[in-house]
Amino acid sequence: MTATTTLPAVAPAVRPRGRRHRLSSRETVGGWLLSAPYILLFLAAAAIPIVFAVWKSLQKPSTILRPQGGFGGLDAYKSAVTDYRFWDTFKNIGIVMAVWLPIMLIGVIGLALLIHASPGRFGSVMRFVYYIPGALSGIANFMLWVYLINPSISPISWLWTTLGETTIKDATNPFNVPFILAAMLFFQGVGTWVVIVNGGLNGLPEEVFEAGSLDGANAWQVAWHVKLPMIRPWIGYAALMNIAYGFQLFMEPYLLQQVSAGAMQTEYTPTQLTFAFAFTNRNLPAAAAMSVILLVVTLAIGVLTVFRSGLFGEKEAR
Amino acid sequence: MSTSRARTRLLTSGATAVVAVAALLLTGCSSSGGAASGSSSSSSSAGSTSAADTSGGGSGASGSGGGITVWVDAPRVPAVQAFEKAHPEIPVKMVQNDGTIGGQSTKQAFANFDAAGSGWPDAIFFTSNDDIAWATSSQSNYAANLSAVPELADVIKGYDPATISFCNIGGQIRCLRNDAAPDVFWYDAKFFKDNNYTVPKSWEDYFTLAIKIAKDHPGKISGFLGDAYAVNRYLQAANCPTNSPKSETEIVLNPQNPNCTKIGQLLDQAYQAKALSPLGVFDADAVKASANLVMTPGALWYGSYLLQATWKVPAGNWTASDPLTWDGKPSMGDEGGGLWGMSSHVTGKEKENTITFMKFVATDPAWQVDLSTGLPAYGPDQDPWLAKFGTDGYYSNLDQLKAAFKASLAAVAPYQYMLYDTGNIWTQTVPTTLTSGGTMSAALTKFFSTLTDQAKSIGYTISAG
Repeated sequence: MTATTTLPAVAPAVRPRGRRHRLSSRETVGGWLLSAPYILLFLAAAAIPIVFAVWKSLQKPSTILRPQGGFGGLDAYKSAVTDYRFWDTFKNIGIVMAVWLPIMLIGVIGLALLIHASPGRFGSVMRFVYYIPGALSGIANFMLWVYLINPSISPISWLWTTLGETTIKDATNPFNVPFILAAMLFFQGVGTWVVIVNGGLNGLPEEVFEAGSLDGANAWQVAWHVKLPMIRPWIGYAALMNIAYGFQLFMEPYLLQQVSAGAMQTEYTPTQLTFAFAFTNRNLPAAAAMSVILLVVTLAIGVLTVFRSGLFGEKEAR
Repeated sequence: MSTSRARTRLLTSGATAVVAVAALLLTGCSSSGGAASGSSSSSSSAGSTSAADTSGGGSGASGSGGGITVWVDAPRVPAVQAFEKAHPEIPVKMVQNDGTIGGQSTKQAFANFDAAGSGWPDAIFFTSNDDIAWATSSQSNYAANLSAVPELADVIKGYDPATISFCNIGGQIRCLRNDAAPDVFWYDAKFFKDNNYTVPKSWEDYFTLAIKIAKDHPGKISGFLGDAYAVNRYLQAANCPTNSPKSETEIVLNPQNPNCTKIGQLLDQAYQAKALSPLGVFDADAVKASANLVMTPGALWYGSYLLQATWKVPAGNWTASDPLTWDGKPSMGDEGGGLWGMSSHVTGKEKENTITFMKFVATDPAWQVDLSTGLPAYGPDQDPWLAKFGTDGYYSNLDQLKAAFKASLAAVAPYQYMLYDTGNIWTQTVPTTLTSGGTMSAALTKFFSTLTDQAKSIGYTISAG
C-alpha cells in the first residue's frame, strides 16, 4: 500500500512550469485576438450587467405604490434583507443543496469511476443510459416529474402511499419539496456530469493505473487512491457548476408551484424572490440588491471551491 | 521561491479564479433564465404569436393603418375570432398569453413595457382579475379610463353597477367585465330529497347542515377549501376584509374583525367535523372527491364547467338556490368573471378600432350569447344567454336555478382587487397547513400574517378598520 499512496505526486495537473519569457509582439496580438470574442461576451453578459446591477442597487428602493428615485445608499439592500421571505429563501435553497449536492457528487464520481472501471461495450452503454434523463430537455423532463410526483397517476404511487400522501398537494408539502427538487436536479444533471468526469478519467495516463496494479492495488484501491485524487479538478468543476446552478434555481420550483395547485411558496428560492421584487413590487433596486447579494455569495463559495479542489492547478493554488 | 513572487502568483491566480468563477456563474444564470422565459411562452399554441416575442408589436407603432394587437388567454380566442369575422376590415394581431390564474408572465411583460415605454397590446383580457390593480396603479396607468370614452358610455350603462364594481377604480371605469361570476348555493337535490334535508338559507344553516351530513353520512363533503377562490367563497361572503382599500396606498386588514373571527370559527368547526375538503376545486384530485360532494357555495359557472364537464357528476341531480344570508342579508362571494382592458397609450385610428373591439367583446351576442360559457356581465345579454342555458336537461329544477342566478348578481359582497394576490397567498398557506395536519384556525392565522407581510412588502399601509 505504501507504493500507491506516493503515486499521486507524479501525476496531477501536469502543467509545464517553464521559464517566463518575454512574449513577442506577434504573440501578444495573437493572444488578444484569440481572447477577444470571450472578452466581448464577458463584457456584454457579465461585467456590464454586474456594474449596472451594483449601480441600480444603490438607488432608493421604490415600489409600484411608492415610486421614488435617486441615490439611496444601502436602503435597497435593507429592503431586500428585511423582506419577510429573505431568510426563508436562503434556508430553502440551503436545505435543497444539503440534500442534493452530496448525492449528486457521490453519484457522479461513483458512476464515472464504475464506467471507467468497466471498459468496452458495457461501459459505454451504461454511460449512454445514465445520460438519457439529462438529454431530455427541461420542459419534457419536467412533465415526466409532474407524473411522478402526482400520487394518483404516478408509477411510483406505492412510494407515495407508503408515505401517506394521496394527492399532489400532500406530496408537495414543505417537508417533501427539497427531496423532490433534489431528485429532479439529480436525474437531470447526473448523466451530463458522469460524461464530463468520465472524460477527465479517460484523459489520465494508463501507465499510472498499470503501475498501481503492478504494485498490488486491486481495482477498488486504484479507483480510491489513484484515480480519485487525479480527477480532483474535475470534481471541483462539477461542484462549482452545481453550486452555481443550485443558487440560481428558478425554473423547477416555479413550475412545481404551478402544478402543486399553488400549495408551494411562490417565492421559494432567492431568484424567485428577486423576480417578485422586480415584477410584483416593481422594486428594481431591491431586485438588483438581491442579485448582487447572490453574486457575492456564489462568488465566495466558488472561489473557495476553486482553491480547495485545485481547479486551476494544485501547485499554484496552494 | 521568494515570498514576494509567491504572493504575486497567488494574486494572479486568485484574480483569474474570480473572473473565471464569475463567468461560470453567469453562464449558469443565463441558461436557467432562458429556460424560465421559455416556460412562460410554452403555453401559447401554434398559430398565434407567443407573448415573449411581441416587442414593438403593440401600440408603439400607432397610425399604421389601424391594425390592433390584442392579448387573450385560450378560452377567449373564440371571442377574437368572432370579432375578426364581424369586422374583417380591422386587421387583428392576436397574442395568446399564459392563462394560468396567478401566473406571473403577464405582470412581468407589462413591467418591462412600462419601463421601456412601448410594446403594450392595445387591448387585453386580463389573465387574473388581480391584474387590474397594477394596470390602474399610477405607476403603470396602462388601463384607459373608459368613462372618458364617449363611444362606450352606453355600454357602461348596460352593466349593473354591482357587476362592474371591480372596474370602478376611484369613480372611473377602467375595464369592461366579460362575464359575471357571483356565487350561488349549489346542492344535490336528489340527495337532499332522499334524506329529507332542508336547503339552508343562511351561512350558519349551511355550516350546521354540513356538520350534520358529515356525521350522518361519513365521507360526504360540503365544500372545498384549497383553491384560490376559497377566499371569495367564504371570507368575502362573510364580509371579512382582505381586499378593502381605503385609498390607493392604504388598506383595511384585521384578523380580529368580528366577521373574520366568526367565519373562521364556522370553517374550523366544519373542517374538524370532516365536512370540508382541503382540496381545491381545480385540483385533479377533486374529480374523485367530487363524487362525495353534496352541496357547496360556488360561482354560477360551477354548473357547466365543474359539475358537468370536469367532475362529470350524473345529470338530473344538481341545482342551485338563492344566495345565503350573512347577518340577515344575502351575501355571497364572486369567483372570477374576467376583465377586458384597453390601453391608455393607443391613439388615432387604432384607438377607434380598439374601442370597436372592446364594445364587441363586452356586448356582442355573437360572442357573449352564442359562444361565452359564463353568464354575460353586460345586462342586456343576460336573458338571451339564460334562455339557452340548461336546455340539455342536465340540471334539476332549472327555473329555481335561473332565479338563483339572477338573485345572486346583487348579493355579491364588496371586494376590490389589490396589488397582492390574495388567492395565491391562500393556496400557499391554508391547504398546506391543513394537509400537514394543522387546524383551520392555525391555517387562517398563517394566511393573515402572510397577507399582512405581503401587503407591507408592496408598500401598503395597513389599518385595522
